[in-house]
Amino acid sequence: MTKTGMIDFRGVNKWFGALNVLKDITLSVEPREVVVVCGPSGSGKSTLIRCVNGLEAIKDGDLVVDGQRLGDPATNMTQLRTEIGFVFQSFNLYPHKTALENVTLAPIHVRKTPRAEAEKAGRELLAKVGLADKVNAYPAQLSGGQQQRVAIARCLGMRPKIMLFDEPTSALDPEMISEVLDVMVAVAEEGMTMMVVTHEMGFARKVAQRVVFMDAGAIVESGTPDEFFSHPRTDRSRAFLSKILRH
Amino acid sequence: MIWQQFISLAGSYPLALRGIGMTVVLSLISLVLGTLLGFGLGILRTGGNRLIASVIGAWVDLIRGTPFLVQIFLIFFILPEFGIELDAFTAGIIALTNLAACFICEIVAAGIRSVPTGQVEAALASGLSRWQRMRQVVLPQAMRIVLPPLVGQYVLLIKDSSVVSAIGLTDLTRVGWLVVQRVPNGLLVFFLVGVGYFIVCYPLIMLARRLERRMGAAHGEVQL
Repeated sequence: MTKTGMIDFRGVNKWFGALNVLKDITLSVEPREVVVVCGPSGSGKSTLIRCVNGLEAIKDGDLVVDGQRLGDPATNMTQLRTEIGFVFQSFNLYPHKTALENVTLAPIHVRKTPRAEAEKAGRELLAKVGLADKVNAYPAQLSGGQQQRVAIARCLGMRPKIMLFDEPTSALDPEMISEVLDVMVAVAEEGMTMMVVTHEMGFARKVAQRVVFMDAGAIVESGTPDEFFSHPRTDRSRAFLSKILRH
Repeated sequence: MIWQQFISLAGSYPLALRGIGMTVVLSLISLVLGTLLGFGLGILRTGGNRLIASVIGAWVDLIRGTPFLVQIFLIFFILPEFGIELDAFTAGIIALTNLAACFICEIVAAGIRSVPTGQVEAALASGLSRWQRMRQVVLPQAMRIVLPPLVGQYVLLIKDSSVVSAIGLTDLTRVGWLVVQRVPNGLLVFFLVGVGYFIVCYPLIMLARRLERRMGAAHGEVQL
Protein backbone atom coordinates (compact mmCIF):
# COMPACT_ATOMS: atom_id res chain seq x y z
CA MET A 1 0.00 0.00 0.00
CA THR A 2 2.91 2.34 0.54
CA LYS A 3 4.67 2.57 -2.81
CA THR A 4 2.67 3.51 -5.87
CA GLY A 5 3.49 2.08 -9.25
CA MET A 6 2.59 3.43 -12.64
CA ILE A 7 -0.31 0.97 -12.70
CA ASP A 8 -1.67 -0.29 -9.39
CA PHE A 9 -4.36 -2.94 -9.08
CA ARG A 10 -5.51 -3.40 -5.48
CA GLY A 11 -8.07 -6.12 -4.90
CA VAL A 12 -9.78 -5.52 -8.25
CA ASN A 13 -12.87 -7.56 -9.10
CA LYS A 14 -15.01 -7.59 -12.20
CA TRP A 15 -18.03 -9.59 -13.28
CA PHE A 16 -19.65 -10.20 -16.65
CA GLY A 17 -23.10 -11.13 -15.38
CA ALA A 18 -22.52 -14.00 -12.95
CA LEU A 19 -19.03 -14.69 -14.30
CA ASN A 20 -16.22 -13.41 -12.09
CA VAL A 21 -13.77 -12.44 -14.85
CA LEU A 22 -11.26 -10.71 -12.60
CA LYS A 23 -10.78 -12.17 -9.13
CA ASP A 24 -9.16 -10.07 -6.49
CA ILE A 25 -6.34 -8.82 -8.71
CA THR A 26 -3.43 -7.15 -6.96
CA LEU A 27 -0.58 -6.13 -9.20
CA SER A 28 1.74 -3.18 -9.41
CA VAL A 29 3.66 -2.15 -12.50
CA GLU A 30 6.61 0.15 -11.94
CA PRO A 31 7.59 2.99 -14.27
CA ARG A 32 9.70 1.63 -17.18
CA GLU A 33 8.76 -1.91 -16.29
CA VAL A 34 7.62 -4.39 -18.96
CA VAL A 35 5.13 -6.96 -17.71
CA VAL A 36 4.00 -9.83 -19.90
CA VAL A 37 0.57 -11.28 -19.11
CA CYS A 38 -0.16 -14.79 -20.33
CA GLY A 39 -2.64 -17.54 -19.68
CA PRO A 40 -5.22 -19.69 -21.42
CA SER A 41 -7.95 -18.05 -23.45
CA GLY A 42 -10.78 -16.77 -21.29
CA SER A 43 -8.48 -16.31 -18.32
CA GLY A 44 -9.22 -12.57 -18.14
CA LYS A 45 -5.86 -11.27 -19.37
CA SER A 46 -7.36 -9.04 -22.07
CA THR A 47 -9.98 -7.77 -19.65
CA LEU A 48 -7.19 -6.99 -17.21
CA ILE A 49 -5.37 -4.61 -19.52
CA ARG A 50 -8.61 -3.19 -20.96
CA CYS A 51 -9.42 -2.02 -17.44
CA VAL A 52 -6.25 0.07 -17.31
CA ASN A 53 -7.49 2.59 -19.87
CA GLY A 54 -11.14 2.21 -18.93
CA LEU A 55 -12.33 0.24 -21.95
CA GLU A 56 -13.78 -1.98 -19.22
CA ALA A 57 -15.01 -0.68 -15.88
CA ILE A 58 -14.00 -2.42 -12.68
CA LYS A 59 -16.59 -3.48 -10.14
CA ASP A 60 -14.69 -3.12 -6.91
CA GLY A 61 -11.20 -2.63 -5.60
CA ASP A 62 -8.87 0.17 -6.60
CA LEU A 63 -7.10 0.74 -9.86
CA VAL A 64 -4.69 3.67 -9.87
CA VAL A 65 -3.01 4.64 -13.13
CA ASP A 66 -0.38 7.38 -13.28
CA GLY A 67 -1.52 8.57 -9.86
CA GLN A 68 -5.18 8.83 -10.83
CA ARG A 69 -7.84 6.54 -9.41
CA LEU A 70 -10.16 5.10 -12.05
CA GLY A 71 -13.83 5.64 -11.41
CA ASP A 72 -13.06 8.64 -9.24
CA PRO A 73 -15.18 11.63 -10.33
CA ALA A 74 -12.02 13.77 -10.16
CA THR A 75 -10.29 11.58 -12.76
CA ASN A 76 -10.64 12.86 -16.31
CA MET A 77 -10.69 9.59 -18.21
CA THR A 78 -10.32 11.18 -21.66
CA GLN A 79 -7.26 13.07 -20.43
CA LEU A 80 -5.79 9.95 -18.81
CA ARG A 81 -6.30 7.93 -22.02
CA THR A 82 -4.06 10.35 -23.91
CA GLU A 83 -1.21 9.08 -21.71
CA ILE A 84 -1.97 5.42 -22.44
CA GLY A 85 -1.37 3.81 -25.82
CA PHE A 86 -3.43 0.74 -26.64
CA VAL A 87 -2.53 -1.74 -29.38
CA PHE A 88 -5.35 -4.06 -30.41
CA GLN A 89 -5.20 -7.63 -31.63
CA SER A 90 -7.13 -6.62 -34.76
CA PHE A 91 -5.13 -3.36 -35.28
CA ASN A 92 -8.29 -1.19 -35.56
CA LEU A 93 -6.67 1.29 -37.89
CA TYR A 94 -9.08 3.85 -39.34
CA PRO A 95 -9.77 2.41 -42.81
CA HIS A 96 -10.72 5.78 -44.34
CA LYS A 97 -7.44 7.41 -43.36
CA THR A 98 -3.91 6.91 -44.64
CA ALA A 99 -1.13 5.55 -42.44
CA LEU A 100 0.08 9.09 -41.77
CA GLU A 101 -3.44 10.36 -41.02
CA ASN A 102 -3.93 7.46 -38.62
CA VAL A 103 -0.81 8.54 -36.75
CA THR A 104 -1.54 12.29 -36.75
CA LEU A 105 -5.28 12.25 -35.99
CA ALA A 106 -5.05 12.27 -32.20
CA PRO A 107 -1.97 14.55 -31.97
CA ILE A 108 -3.76 17.15 -34.13
CA HIS A 109 -7.20 16.95 -32.52
CA VAL A 110 -6.40 15.99 -28.95
CA ARG A 111 -2.93 17.44 -28.35
CA LYS A 112 -3.66 20.39 -30.69
CA THR A 113 -0.25 19.95 -32.33
CA PRO A 114 0.01 22.11 -35.48
CA ARG A 115 -0.60 19.95 -38.54
CA ALA A 116 2.84 20.46 -40.11
CA GLU A 117 4.57 19.54 -36.88
CA ALA A 118 2.33 16.50 -36.33
CA GLU A 119 2.99 15.29 -39.86
CA LYS A 120 6.72 15.67 -39.45
CA ALA A 121 6.61 13.66 -36.24
CA GLY A 122 4.28 11.14 -37.88
CA ARG A 123 6.66 10.57 -40.78
CA GLU A 124 9.52 10.06 -38.35
CA LEU A 125 7.50 7.54 -36.36
CA LEU A 126 6.48 5.63 -39.47
CA ALA A 127 10.14 5.58 -40.53
CA LYS A 128 11.04 4.29 -37.09
CA VAL A 129 8.67 1.33 -37.47
CA GLY A 130 10.10 0.69 -40.93
CA LEU A 131 7.25 2.11 -43.00
CA ALA A 132 8.71 5.33 -44.41
CA ASP A 133 7.51 4.28 -47.87
CA LYS A 134 3.92 3.56 -46.71
CA VAL A 135 3.07 7.02 -45.40
CA ASN A 136 0.23 7.54 -47.88
CA ALA A 137 -1.02 3.95 -48.00
CA TYR A 138 -4.49 3.07 -46.73
CA PRO A 139 -4.78 0.23 -44.19
CA ALA A 140 -6.36 -2.06 -46.81
CA GLN A 141 -3.19 -1.72 -48.87
CA LEU A 142 -0.97 -2.90 -46.01
CA SER A 143 -0.21 -6.38 -44.71
CA GLY A 144 -1.23 -7.33 -41.19
CA GLY A 145 2.28 -6.83 -39.86
CA GLN A 146 2.49 -3.41 -41.48
CA GLN A 147 -0.92 -2.43 -40.13
CA GLN A 148 0.10 -3.40 -36.62
CA ARG A 149 3.30 -1.35 -36.92
CA VAL A 150 1.22 1.65 -38.02
CA ALA A 151 -1.01 1.02 -34.99
CA ILE A 152 2.06 1.11 -32.71
CA ALA A 153 3.25 4.32 -34.39
CA ARG A 154 -0.24 5.76 -33.87
CA CYS A 155 0.11 5.17 -30.14
CA LEU A 156 3.66 6.53 -30.01
CA GLY A 157 2.46 9.71 -31.73
CA MET A 158 0.75 10.69 -28.49
CA ARG A 159 4.01 10.25 -26.54
CA PRO A 160 2.24 8.07 -23.95
CA LYS A 161 3.61 7.16 -20.53
CA ILE A 162 2.17 3.65 -20.73
CA MET A 163 1.56 1.25 -23.57
CA LEU A 164 -0.82 -1.69 -23.44
CA PHE A 165 -0.69 -4.49 -25.99
CA ASP A 166 -3.61 -6.90 -26.36
CA GLU A 167 -2.30 -9.98 -28.19
CA PRO A 168 -0.61 -7.79 -30.79
CA THR A 169 0.69 -10.68 -32.88
CA SER A 170 -2.15 -13.21 -32.58
CA ALA A 171 -3.90 -12.11 -35.76
CA LEU A 172 -0.70 -12.15 -37.82
CA ASP A 173 0.74 -14.67 -40.23
CA PRO A 174 3.84 -16.27 -38.67
CA GLU A 175 6.31 -14.54 -40.98
CA MET A 176 5.02 -11.13 -39.87
CA ILE A 177 5.25 -11.68 -36.14
CA SER A 178 8.92 -10.82 -35.76
CA GLU A 179 8.67 -7.46 -37.55
CA VAL A 180 6.05 -6.39 -34.99
CA LEU A 181 7.95 -7.85 -32.04
CA ASP A 182 11.12 -6.04 -33.14
CA VAL A 183 9.27 -2.72 -32.95
CA MET A 184 7.89 -3.63 -29.53
CA VAL A 185 11.37 -4.53 -28.29
CA ALA A 186 12.65 -1.16 -29.50
CA VAL A 187 9.83 0.62 -27.65
CA ALA A 188 10.57 -1.37 -24.49
CA GLU A 189 14.26 -0.59 -24.68
CA GLU A 190 13.48 3.13 -24.75
CA GLY A 191 12.03 2.72 -21.26
CA MET A 192 8.30 2.60 -21.93
CA THR A 193 6.07 1.20 -19.19
CA MET A 194 4.35 -1.72 -20.86
CA MET A 195 1.76 -4.39 -20.17
CA VAL A 196 1.74 -6.96 -22.93
CA VAL A 197 -0.74 -9.80 -23.31
CA THR A 198 1.16 -12.31 -25.41
CA HIS A 199 2.38 -15.87 -25.61
CA GLU A 200 5.57 -14.84 -27.40
CA MET A 201 8.14 -16.18 -25.01
CA GLY A 202 11.09 -14.89 -26.99
CA PHE A 203 9.77 -11.38 -26.48
CA ALA A 204 9.12 -12.01 -22.78
CA ARG A 205 12.64 -13.35 -22.20
CA LYS A 206 14.21 -10.49 -24.08
CA VAL A 207 12.53 -7.46 -22.51
CA ALA A 208 10.08 -8.39 -19.76
CA GLN A 209 11.04 -7.92 -16.13
CA ARG A 210 8.06 -9.97 -15.07
CA VAL A 211 5.66 -12.58 -16.41
CA VAL A 212 2.21 -12.79 -14.88
CA PHE A 213 0.26 -15.99 -15.42
CA MET A 214 -3.52 -15.79 -15.20
CA ASP A 215 -6.11 -18.53 -15.09
CA ALA A 216 -9.87 -18.27 -14.54
CA GLY A 217 -9.69 -14.57 -13.74
CA ALA A 218 -7.00 -14.77 -11.08
CA ILE A 219 -3.26 -14.19 -11.07
CA VAL A 220 -1.88 -17.65 -10.38
CA GLU A 221 1.82 -17.01 -10.64
CA SER A 222 4.19 -14.17 -11.26
CA GLY A 223 7.95 -14.07 -11.60
CA THR A 224 10.88 -13.23 -13.85
CA PRO A 225 10.65 -14.75 -17.35
CA ASP A 226 13.45 -17.12 -16.47
CA GLU A 227 11.77 -18.39 -13.29
CA PHE A 228 8.41 -18.69 -14.98
CA PHE A 229 9.45 -20.44 -18.17
CA SER A 230 12.14 -22.68 -16.69
CA HIS A 231 10.63 -23.44 -13.28
CA PRO A 232 6.87 -22.92 -13.28
CA ARG A 233 5.61 -23.41 -9.74
CA THR A 234 1.99 -24.44 -10.25
CA ASP A 235 0.34 -27.34 -12.07
CA ARG A 236 -1.78 -24.96 -14.07
CA SER A 237 1.16 -22.97 -15.37
CA ARG A 238 3.04 -26.18 -16.17
CA ALA A 239 0.03 -27.48 -18.11
CA PHE A 240 -0.27 -24.18 -19.95
CA LEU A 241 3.41 -24.00 -20.83
CA SER A 242 3.48 -27.58 -22.06
CA LYS A 243 0.69 -26.64 -24.48
CA ILE A 244 2.28 -23.53 -25.92
CA LEU A 245 5.75 -25.06 -26.01
CA ARG A 246 4.63 -28.07 -27.99
CA HIS A 247 4.40 -25.99 -31.16
CA MET B 1 -61.16 17.46 -79.31
CA ILE B 2 -57.84 16.11 -78.05
CA TRP B 3 -56.13 18.91 -79.92
CA GLN B 4 -58.26 21.50 -78.22
CA GLN B 5 -57.42 19.96 -74.87
CA PHE B 6 -53.71 20.21 -75.69
CA ILE B 7 -54.09 23.89 -76.58
CA SER B 8 -55.92 24.49 -73.37
CA LEU B 9 -53.29 22.56 -71.41
CA ALA B 10 -50.51 24.51 -73.02
CA GLY B 11 -52.26 27.64 -71.76
CA SER B 12 -51.93 26.29 -68.20
CA TYR B 13 -48.19 26.07 -68.30
CA PRO B 14 -47.57 29.05 -65.97
CA LEU B 15 -49.70 27.26 -63.39
CA ALA B 16 -47.78 24.03 -64.01
CA LEU B 17 -44.47 25.81 -63.52
CA ARG B 18 -45.74 27.30 -60.28
CA GLY B 19 -46.77 23.82 -59.17
CA ILE B 20 -43.41 22.29 -59.99
CA GLY B 21 -41.72 25.24 -58.30
CA MET B 22 -43.77 24.72 -55.15
CA THR B 23 -43.02 20.99 -55.12
CA VAL B 24 -39.30 21.63 -55.57
CA VAL B 25 -39.09 24.42 -52.97
CA LEU B 26 -41.13 22.46 -50.45
CA SER B 27 -39.05 19.32 -50.99
CA LEU B 28 -35.74 21.14 -50.95
CA ILE B 29 -36.39 23.04 -47.73
CA SER B 30 -37.80 20.05 -45.88
CA LEU B 31 -35.11 17.67 -47.16
CA VAL B 32 -32.31 19.99 -46.04
CA LEU B 33 -33.92 20.59 -42.63
CA GLY B 34 -34.96 16.93 -42.35
CA THR B 35 -31.43 15.76 -43.15
CA LEU B 36 -29.87 17.99 -40.50
CA LEU B 37 -32.47 17.00 -37.93
CA GLY B 38 -32.32 13.34 -38.99
CA PHE B 39 -28.54 13.18 -38.51
CA GLY B 40 -28.88 14.81 -35.11
CA LEU B 41 -31.59 12.37 -34.07
CA GLY B 42 -29.68 9.40 -35.50
CA ILE B 43 -26.57 10.34 -33.50
CA LEU B 44 -28.61 10.80 -30.31
CA ARG B 45 -30.46 7.52 -30.97
CA THR B 46 -27.19 5.59 -30.95
CA GLY B 47 -25.62 7.67 -28.16
CA GLY B 48 -25.32 6.41 -24.63
CA ASN B 49 -28.51 7.91 -23.17
CA ARG B 50 -31.20 5.22 -22.99
CA LEU B 51 -34.04 7.63 -22.20
CA ILE B 52 -33.30 9.94 -25.13
CA ALA B 53 -32.81 6.95 -27.44
CA SER B 54 -36.13 5.39 -26.52
CA VAL B 55 -38.06 8.67 -26.75
CA ILE B 56 -36.66 9.20 -30.26
CA GLY B 57 -37.38 5.56 -31.11
CA ALA B 58 -41.01 5.90 -30.01
CA TRP B 59 -41.48 9.12 -32.00
CA VAL B 60 -39.91 7.60 -35.11
CA ASP B 61 -42.15 4.51 -34.83
CA LEU B 62 -45.23 6.72 -34.38
CA ILE B 63 -44.46 8.81 -37.45
CA ARG B 64 -43.47 5.84 -39.57
CA GLY B 65 -46.56 3.94 -38.47
CA THR B 66 -49.19 6.58 -39.33
CA PRO B 67 -50.25 7.92 -42.74
CA PHE B 68 -48.63 11.16 -43.77
CA LEU B 69 -52.05 12.56 -44.71
CA VAL B 70 -53.21 12.11 -41.12
CA GLN B 71 -50.05 13.79 -39.79
CA ILE B 72 -50.51 16.79 -42.04
CA PHE B 73 -54.18 17.13 -41.06
CA LEU B 74 -53.22 17.01 -37.38
CA ILE B 75 -50.69 19.77 -37.86
CA PHE B 76 -52.85 21.97 -40.06
CA PHE B 77 -56.34 21.49 -38.60
CA ILE B 78 -55.84 20.31 -35.03
CA LEU B 79 -52.99 22.54 -33.84
CA PRO B 80 -55.06 25.71 -34.36
CA GLU B 81 -57.49 24.29 -31.78
CA PHE B 82 -54.66 24.73 -29.30
CA GLY B 83 -53.95 28.25 -30.48
CA ILE B 84 -51.13 27.42 -32.90
CA GLU B 85 -52.14 28.94 -36.22
CA LEU B 86 -49.96 27.92 -39.15
CA ASP B 87 -50.25 28.86 -42.78
CA ALA B 88 -50.40 25.95 -45.20
CA PHE B 89 -46.80 26.39 -46.36
CA THR B 90 -45.35 26.34 -42.84
CA ALA B 91 -47.54 23.40 -41.89
CA GLY B 92 -46.39 21.54 -45.02
CA ILE B 93 -42.71 22.24 -44.25
CA ILE B 94 -43.10 21.11 -40.66
CA ALA B 95 -44.90 17.91 -41.58
CA LEU B 96 -42.47 16.99 -44.37
CA THR B 97 -39.39 17.89 -42.32
CA ASN B 98 -40.62 15.75 -39.46
CA LEU B 99 -41.31 12.83 -41.79
CA ALA B 100 -37.92 13.18 -43.48
CA ALA B 101 -36.12 13.45 -40.13
CA CYS B 102 -37.73 10.26 -38.83
CA PHE B 103 -36.81 8.16 -41.84
CA ILE B 104 -33.31 9.65 -42.07
CA CYS B 105 -32.79 9.12 -38.32
CA GLU B 106 -33.21 5.37 -38.82
CA ILE B 107 -30.92 5.31 -41.86
CA VAL B 108 -28.21 7.23 -39.97
CA ALA B 109 -28.59 5.09 -36.85
CA ALA B 110 -28.19 1.93 -38.93
CA GLY B 111 -25.05 3.40 -40.55
CA ILE B 112 -23.54 4.30 -37.18
CA ARG B 113 -24.30 0.84 -35.78
CA SER B 114 -22.53 -0.73 -38.77
CA VAL B 115 -19.18 0.79 -37.75
CA PRO B 116 -17.20 -1.92 -35.88
CA THR B 117 -16.83 -1.44 -32.11
CA GLY B 118 -13.07 -1.69 -32.51
CA GLN B 119 -13.08 1.61 -34.38
CA VAL B 120 -14.78 3.38 -31.50
CA GLU B 121 -12.46 1.70 -29.01
CA ALA B 122 -9.39 2.81 -30.96
CA ALA B 123 -10.67 6.38 -31.03
CA LEU B 124 -11.58 6.20 -27.35
CA ALA B 125 -8.17 4.80 -26.43
CA SER B 126 -6.36 7.66 -28.16
CA GLY B 127 -8.27 10.21 -26.11
CA LEU B 128 -10.64 11.61 -28.76
CA SER B 129 -13.68 13.33 -27.27
CA ARG B 130 -17.19 12.09 -27.95
CA TRP B 131 -17.74 14.59 -30.77
CA GLN B 132 -14.28 13.98 -32.26
CA ARG B 133 -14.93 10.24 -32.31
CA MET B 134 -18.20 10.83 -34.14
CA ARG B 135 -16.81 13.43 -36.53
CA GLN B 136 -13.42 11.88 -37.33
CA VAL B 137 -13.96 8.14 -37.05
CA VAL B 138 -17.59 7.00 -36.94
CA LEU B 139 -19.48 9.28 -39.35
CA PRO B 140 -17.04 9.05 -42.27
CA GLN B 141 -17.34 5.26 -42.12
CA ALA B 142 -21.09 5.32 -41.53
CA MET B 143 -21.60 7.56 -44.58
CA ARG B 144 -20.67 4.66 -46.82
CA ILE B 145 -23.68 2.76 -45.53
CA VAL B 146 -25.90 5.83 -45.21
CA LEU B 147 -25.57 7.58 -48.57
CA PRO B 148 -27.30 5.22 -51.03
CA PRO B 149 -30.49 4.69 -48.96
CA LEU B 150 -30.45 8.38 -48.00
CA VAL B 151 -30.72 9.51 -51.60
CA GLY B 152 -33.34 6.81 -52.23
CA GLN B 153 -35.31 8.21 -49.31
CA TYR B 154 -35.15 11.69 -50.85
CA VAL B 155 -37.02 10.32 -53.87
CA LEU B 156 -39.74 8.86 -51.66
CA LEU B 157 -40.06 12.13 -49.75
CA ILE B 158 -40.40 14.24 -52.89
CA LYS B 159 -43.27 12.01 -53.92
CA ASP B 160 -44.78 12.20 -50.43
CA SER B 161 -44.80 15.98 -50.77
CA SER B 162 -47.81 15.55 -53.09
CA VAL B 163 -49.89 15.03 -49.96
CA VAL B 164 -49.55 18.74 -49.05
CA SER B 165 -52.03 19.50 -51.83
CA ALA B 166 -54.63 18.26 -49.37
CA ILE B 167 -54.20 21.39 -47.25
CA GLY B 168 -54.45 23.70 -50.23
CA LEU B 169 -50.83 24.26 -51.24
CA THR B 170 -50.56 24.69 -54.99
CA ASP B 171 -47.94 22.03 -55.64
CA LEU B 172 -47.72 19.93 -58.77
CA THR B 173 -50.48 17.54 -57.68
CA ARG B 174 -52.90 20.35 -56.82
CA VAL B 175 -52.17 21.99 -60.15
CA GLY B 176 -53.35 18.72 -61.67
CA TRP B 177 -56.62 18.96 -59.75
CA LEU B 178 -57.11 22.58 -60.83
CA VAL B 179 -56.35 21.94 -64.47
CA VAL B 180 -58.54 18.87 -64.71
CA GLN B 181 -61.54 21.06 -63.87
CA ARG B 182 -60.95 23.05 -67.05
CA VAL B 183 -59.64 20.24 -69.22
CA PRO B 184 -61.80 17.21 -68.53
CA ASN B 185 -59.20 14.59 -69.41
CA GLY B 186 -57.92 13.13 -66.16
CA LEU B 187 -55.73 10.55 -67.84
CA LEU B 188 -53.82 13.13 -69.85
CA VAL B 189 -53.54 15.68 -67.04
CA PHE B 190 -52.31 13.29 -64.40
CA PHE B 191 -50.03 11.57 -66.85
CA LEU B 192 -48.33 14.94 -67.27
CA VAL B 193 -48.29 15.46 -63.48
CA GLY B 194 -46.54 12.09 -63.21
CA VAL B 195 -44.01 13.13 -65.82
CA GLY B 196 -43.33 16.30 -63.79
CA TYR B 197 -42.50 14.27 -60.65
CA PHE B 198 -40.41 11.87 -62.68
CA ILE B 199 -38.30 14.71 -64.09
CA VAL B 200 -37.57 15.90 -60.56
CA CYS B 201 -36.89 12.44 -59.14
CA TYR B 202 -35.04 10.68 -61.94
CA PRO B 203 -31.67 12.44 -61.45
CA LEU B 204 -31.80 11.41 -57.79
CA ILE B 205 -32.60 7.81 -58.71
CA MET B 206 -29.55 7.82 -60.97
CA LEU B 207 -27.43 9.37 -58.23
CA ALA B 208 -28.54 6.73 -55.73
CA ARG B 209 -27.62 3.98 -58.16
CA ARG B 210 -24.19 5.46 -58.81
CA LEU B 211 -23.50 5.95 -55.12
CA GLU B 212 -24.50 2.38 -54.43
CA ARG B 213 -22.03 1.12 -56.99
CA ARG B 214 -19.23 3.39 -55.82
CA MET B 215 -19.77 2.65 -52.14
CA GLY B 216 -19.91 -1.07 -52.88
CA ALA B 217 -16.56 -0.90 -54.64
CA ALA B 218 -15.01 1.29 -51.97
CA HIS B 219 -16.18 -1.12 -49.29
CA GLY B 220 -14.34 -4.02 -50.86
CA GLU B 221 -11.24 -1.95 -51.19
CA VAL B 222 -11.13 -0.41 -47.74
CA GLN B 223 -12.39 -3.34 -45.71
CA LEU B 224 -10.07 -4.34 -42.89
